[in-house]
Amino acid sequence: MITNILFGVGVAFFGFVLQTSIAGVNRKVVGRVQKRYGPKWYQEFLDIFKLLSKRSVTHGWIFDFGVIMALGGIIGTAMFMPITSDLVAFADFDNFFIFVYLIAVGMLGMAMSASGSGNPLASIGVMRALTTMLAYEVPFMIVVLTIIKLTGTSSVTGIAEFQQLASNNWFMIALPLGGIVGVMSLMGMIGKKPFETYIAPAEIASGPMVEYGGKQLGMLFIMHEITVFIEVSLFVHLFLGGAENVVLFIVKYFLVYTTLNIISSVYGRFKIDQVVLFFYKWPILMAISQAFVAIYLGWVI
Amino acid sequence: MASIELIIVFTALAGVLSYFVGRLNKVAGSVVTILASMFVFVSVAYFGYNNELIHSTEFLPYVTFSVTYLGLFFAILVTFIFAMVSFFNPFFVEKYKYPALYSMLYLLSLAGVLGVFFTNNFMSLFFFFEFVVWTSLFLIPMGRSKRAASSYYAFSTVGSFALLFAIFIMREASGTFNIVSSMASVNGTEAAIVSALLAVAAFAKLGAFPLNVWLPRVLGNSPDAISAVFSGGLEKLGAFVAVLALVKLAPFGYVVDATGLAASQYVIAALGALTIVFGTLMAIRQDDAKKLLAYSSMSNGGYILVALTIASSASVSGGLYHVVAHALASTAAFLAIGAVSRITGTTKMSELGGMIHKMPVTYLVYLIAIISMAGIPPMGGFISKWLIFQAVIDKGMILVAVAVFFGSIGSFLYVFRPLAALFLGQELPQHREVSKEAPFFMLVPMVILSGLIIYTGVLPNFFLGFINNVLTEVGVTPLVIGSYTVTGTNGVLQPALIASVFGVGVLIAFIIFIVLKKSRKVGLMDTYTAGNFIYTEELMHYSLDFYAPLERLYEKYINITKDFYKRLENKVVDLGRLMKYYFFTNKPEIMVLWIIIIMGIILWGDIL
Repeated sequence: MITNILFGVGVAFFGFVLQTSIAGVNRKVVGRVQKRYGPKWYQEFLDIFKLLSKRSVTHGWIFDFGVIMALGGIIGTAMFMPITSDLVAFADFDNFFIFVYLIAVGMLGMAMSASGSGNPLASIGVMRALTTMLAYEVPFMIVVLTIIKLTGTSSVTGIAEFQQLASNNWFMIALPLGGIVGVMSLMGMIGKKPFETYIAPAEIASGPMVEYGGKQLGMLFIMHEITVFIEVSLFVHLFLGGAENVVLFIVKYFLVYTTLNIISSVYGRFKIDQVVLFFYKWPILMAISQAFVAIYLGWVI
Repeated sequence: MASIELIIVFTALAGVLSYFVGRLNKVAGSVVTILASMFVFVSVAYFGYNNELIHSTEFLPYVTFSVTYLGLFFAILVTFIFAMVSFFNPFFVEKYKYPALYSMLYLLSLAGVLGVFFTNNFMSLFFFFEFVVWTSLFLIPMGRSKRAASSYYAFSTVGSFALLFAIFIMREASGTFNIVSSMASVNGTEAAIVSALLAVAAFAKLGAFPLNVWLPRVLGNSPDAISAVFSGGLEKLGAFVAVLALVKLAPFGYVVDATGLAASQYVIAALGALTIVFGTLMAIRQDDAKKLLAYSSMSNGGYILVALTIASSASVSGGLYHVVAHALASTAAFLAIGAVSRITGTTKMSELGGMIHKMPVTYLVYLIAIISMAGIPPMGGFISKWLIFQAVIDKGMILVAVAVFFGSIGSFLYVFRPLAALFLGQELPQHREVSKEAPFFMLVPMVILSGLIIYTGVLPNFFLGFINNVLTEVGVTPLVIGSYTVTGTNGVLQPALIASVFGVGVLIAFIIFIVLKKSRKVGLMDTYTAGNFIYTEELMHYSLDFYAPLERLYEKYINITKDFYKRLENKVVDLGRLMKYYFFTNKPEIMVLWIIIIMGIILWGDIL
């Protein structure tokens, strides 16, 4: 049990290092898209460690408690995440719903802390984040419903292994409409344009993050990196057949994240009601028709 | 050993006693409610759990009892809620116009509830059902609105009549009022009609769409303690009837091959899904914290209906577990809001802010309650929602799943509002001086409830084991549970593992936090304002129309159900006027004419 927990902590740490490095590389990629040089690939690490070392201010116990709950919830969630089918801390217990709902503890902690700062811009950011969540989560869950119904298991490694069988395609190909919905929802999840309304730096001063500095901000940065790790690797496991070994996992992960970043770098920002209307128009229609076609008619490529 | 009859008679007598004590001293009368309801809970739970309840009757005429696991499950839960809420009575009776009557009705409705769950006779069931309606009816207007009581009465009547018709049909088919044998004897079309009628009764009691209008009115306007009792206890009578209607009676209608579900199940699940969506959308736009929780109760009632109608082992145990989880969570949340309302005198979120600084324990109670309500681990609500999701996915109910997921994510939105607007944010000056933490005896039930919410989320197997007895009794395959694991249709869950991993995560985060440099404490007004100078707390507190951009998308359509019932009400009033005009005029000769005509019609063929 202790080894499993230590392994889980290792997964969370691996996720943090991986995502922070890839995010650094992606700052260069986006820089090149926008005809800039971009910062060094390890710039994100420097930012985080600088923040952690600084002395900051606090707005009361809930402000700190929320940050601890946020980072703790996200580390806890990441501990369940499989890397390959064999490299998983708690085999058989990596249920899909744990990732969707345990991640919410972290989100709740951050929202709580942000509202506890007493800055209205933070509350507006939280409102937008939750509204965006209401938008992207439902189509995504419907696609995952289809996947779980087809594979008969809600274990993330189980779903990945199902796709690795010779007779089955990746779900990105097997369920093409669902795959597109998955990509769009993932962009909402990790807050890429056009769905980054809740951060909106020029408009609401980074939203939930507005009051933070020093170690609290550093911890929220770590939390954000691990959150992105959870969401992108969930996509890799659910839609891209998981990974047989770590190298393949890193390659798939890098490709997914970089593609999203490049798509994101050419878009503007939606208004919050446009986000909701968007997701409740095409993605949900596509998700529902995909589910009907796959479950009731059995048409899976 | 304890006799059910004696417990019920004791509760009723204690109610009468509390009335007379309450006439002498308001608070003493309400203390009687605490003692009596605690006694009832302890005796029902202890003797019921050890199978030592005696069901013979000696004093009450025509009433017979029997102990079923189903009845026991609901009885223990609801008496527990009554016992917990009763701690609030002494602190609130001062405000009511008839404090002695309040204490008496509180205990009488408890007696009625026990009768409903333990009787084995449909006529007594109906009697106790009405008894609960009539006693709770007069508790509602002691709060803010009299109209809420009439609305409750109107919808309860629909449910009661549906129940009565169902009872008569079963009596016609079986010749007995016994619950088990009369339900077993109906089949074919009769069973379908009975099932539909009982479902109407369940909908009316649960406040499910389309019989939902009373619930937010009652829960939003009742006295604070009564809202908690309604949401956690009395509303669950609907779930009890729903188990009878949806699980014990077979579904009917055309069976879809792909899923093996009958048409009636699709209809009920669709109505349950609409209940979830409408409840969620309405909860998001409330300004009154109690109303918000009321709509959330409605939406959770929808989950219970969806779960019970699918009638697989995962879904029924999920539904029953949701009854427990929601009862605990919503009672705790209502009590926390009640504690705030006692001190500030309002439950409107736009008038409150920053209560956390003076009421930290109440805040934590509310936080734990909403984590469970939103279905987030490691709280009880996650287990039940997980089981319900399993069942919905397993049956491939796509459109119902949209509603179920929407309600689940939507609940993050609405439960967060009171947290942000009422407890967090700027501390408003008008409450800064007066507010303080709730008294010790108000914190006791809230903390017990929070402990149970965590317990149900971390170690659900004790409750699920009890629910498995219920499942066996109503004819559903029991759920597979290990010593720490729960096995659903397509996955295994180990709640204790989730909780401990979460604990490890928090520990790591705490260590990171504590080893780094200590932060300097600054005031809440010392925030980034983009260069503006703002000195009033209200301007820095974002609480009004929290989800305005989202609300704008559907605010045109929110009054459709309400308008429908308003028009129906007007039609009923018109009909009443018409009857009055033709029949009850002030000219006696017309009355006599009508009486003769009606007598003639009735007696035609027999005597004439």
